[in-house]
Amino acid sequence: MLQATGAVGLAAFAGCLGGGSEAGNLDELLEDDPDEFEALEIGHWWTAGGEEAAFEALIEGFEAEYPDIEVDSSPSPGGAGSALETDIKNRVVDQNPPSTFQIWPGQALTEYTDEDLLYDIDGHVWNDEMREAYLDGPIDVSRPDGEFVAVPINIHRLNNLFYNVDVVEDADVDPESLESPSDLLEAMEAVDDAGFVGMAQQTQSAWSTMQLWAQVLLGEYGADVYDSFIEGDLEAVESEIRASLELVVEYSEYFNEDASSMNDWDDASDYINTGDAAFFHQGDWAAGQYEGEDDFEYGEDWDHVPFPGTDGMYALNMDSFVFPKHNPSPNATVRFLQYAGTTDAQERFNPHKGSIPPRTDVSDEAFTPFLQDQMADFEASTEQPPSVTHGLAVAPSIQTDVEGAFANFIDNWDVDETYDDLVSSFD
Amino acid sequence: MDSLRNSIKRLNPLSASDSDFFESMPFWLPATALVLLFVYGAIGWNVIISFTGWSGLGQPDYTNFTLEMYRQMPSDPNFMASLRNTVALLVAFTGVSLVVGLGLALLVDRKIRFESTFRTIYLLPMALSFVVTAIFWSWMYASNGLIDTMLNGIGLGWLSQDWLGDPRFKLAAVIVALIWQFSGYCMIVYLAGLRSIPNDHYEAARIDGASTLKLYWRIIIPQLRSSTVGATVVLMVFALKAFDFIYVMFGTNPGRSADILAVTMYREAFSSSEWAYGAAIAVVLFALALTIIGPYAYTQYKRGAL
Repeated sequence: MLQATGAVGLAAFAGCLGGGSEAGNLDELLEDDPDEFEALEIGHWWTAGGEEAAFEALIEGFEAEYPDIEVDSSPSPGGAGSALETDIKNRVVDQNPPSTFQIWPGQALTEYTDEDLLYDIDGHVWNDEMREAYLDGPIDVSRPDGEFVAVPINIHRLNNLFYNVDVVEDADVDPESLESPSDLLEAMEAVDDAGFVGMAQQTQSAWSTMQLWAQVLLGEYGADVYDSFIEGDLEAVESEIRASLELVVEYSEYFNEDASSMNDWDDASDYINTGDAAFFHQGDWAAGQYEGEDDFEYGEDWDHVPFPGTDGMYALNMDSFVFPKHNPSPNATVRFLQYAGTTDAQERFNPHKGSIPPRTDVSDEAFTPFLQDQMADFEASTEQPPSVTHGLAVAPSIQTDVEGAFANFIDNWDVDETYDDLVSSFD
Repeated sequence: MDSLRNSIKRLNPLSASDSDFFESMPFWLPATALVLLFVYGAIGWNVIISFTGWSGLGQPDYTNFTLEMYRQMPSDPNFMASLRNTVALLVAFTGVSLVVGLGLALLVDRKIRFESTFRTIYLLPMALSFVVTAIFWSWMYASNGLIDTMLNGIGLGWLSQDWLGDPRFKLAAVIVALIWQFSGYCMIVYLAGLRSIPNDHYEAARIDGASTLKLYWRIIIPQLRSSTVGATVVLMVFALKAFDFIYVMFGTNPGRSADILAVTMYREAFSSSEWAYGAAIAVVLFALALTIIGPYAYTQYKRGAL
């Protein structure tokens, strides 16, 4: 009896495995003109608000282009993407992935490329025309191991400093004149003296402070120091890391008092809408909050400068699509990836998402004035450092540990302990 | 024919129970097989994975088993912190919930008016999901939230703290919220226990001149032992599973001051893809649950209650 169950159990576990085709490269797999397409299953977590609208617009465009392909949306909402991550990892390990899925490009992909789980899409998707339209930063994160494995669909900028115009005027501070993160600290002191919150922030979960620290490091010490950090050479830049952490500790004196009981960035960003805080650092998705507010105009009531010291940089946070092996619908998948790399797809998707297209040849007509400015900044940018908080810059196991270091940092604001935790994250 | 059957029975005394065994199969076999496969099979597989060193998105290597994952644990500060927190949560949450529940049960049992209303009010939090309670306790603990506002209101403003940000209070804040949610359950268990004590005991104690305090301390509470044991086991198992609450409040990285094993396990497995290490943490968690339930199950079995 027990043995029988054991055998059934093994069979069932084995049954979880396998599925999809297993060709070594795409040439063997793809047909030029297939009679019929398998349904295209897309894993994603764009299930609410502008993100949902963006995804729908993208699918609408794709279906217009390829009416024969049935699209099967497979959302895993929740946990800021961790629900999708869990689902996808389980399915990939079971060799039963969806046709394609949303994922951070860059080092986040190395988990997949290390095990050779993604197809090289150079030639089939990436061609000279596409390469021409992309800047170096987005191209680099599309080929973390040298081979093109991802198609970026959007870019969110991370080195932003949003501010409430009236508040900074009241405090007699000119955000345009701030040249470094240290200058920003002085500006916050002035704002505090004028009776406002210096910087709106949430510190109940670690990621916002991790993002902020990365911008402080970039702004104060430049992209080379930042690169040393993400490459794991922390000893070479120890004093810079410590000093930047120190600066964030000093910033924290000027956070809103309820920062530690705020779990959502948008609760913190409200301090800008209501005119209670001067500055707010966040990805450019925060702009959507202000644009949606009545009588709160870009340039008049709220405004934006690159995070002090990061002028000329466009710090990247992106989403991309990939071509997993054991693919249930290779012919449909390749067409979807080709489509995701077009101006049409990116022009449909990004205005709703509040992000900018990775391609630089997309017309900016459909975008808000704020995003038009961001697009101009992006095109003019000389450096596009990848985000450590959003998986582009370090492998997932390192990223988790770095985030853990910041989870302790926002508890005890202990620079020495955080530095040690950061060092051990890279072990 | 009959004689033949009898002689067979005599030769094989087990055949009667054997036929029971086979005849009853359709009733218990499907359920048993499914439980064995999906519960015990999964636990067994998890134990095996914890010995493999499997990480990343490839397939596990079942040819090479090591204890490396378990050896790493003592030197992993995150693991040790979450183990410590798990035990602290277990003890504090269970102990205080029982005391609060007993207190409530004794009060409600005093033939008060609106008894069933009070009972419902106290029990209601248990009906809520951890997700709901985690979110509104976040609001309660906020710096302009209910707790600090109340403290300020009664002139105890100096007591208000950064409840969710200060590592000294973070875990305690979680424990208090969980106690709030589960003491109603303890109350119900104790109330049932109290109701099963015959009235004679109260009367006899009164006639012998026992004070109210003595009556409860000497006569009533000792008779609530089995309620206490039952509630303790249930609470402890809930404490081990407080994952949802912490996950909703702080995400997968709550920091060392509020990390518990269940969250560490999830983070190692699904954020870092350290499957084997995650599995090993799951085994430790499972062992903790067994040490709690094992003795209880054993004594119940001894008493013939299982």
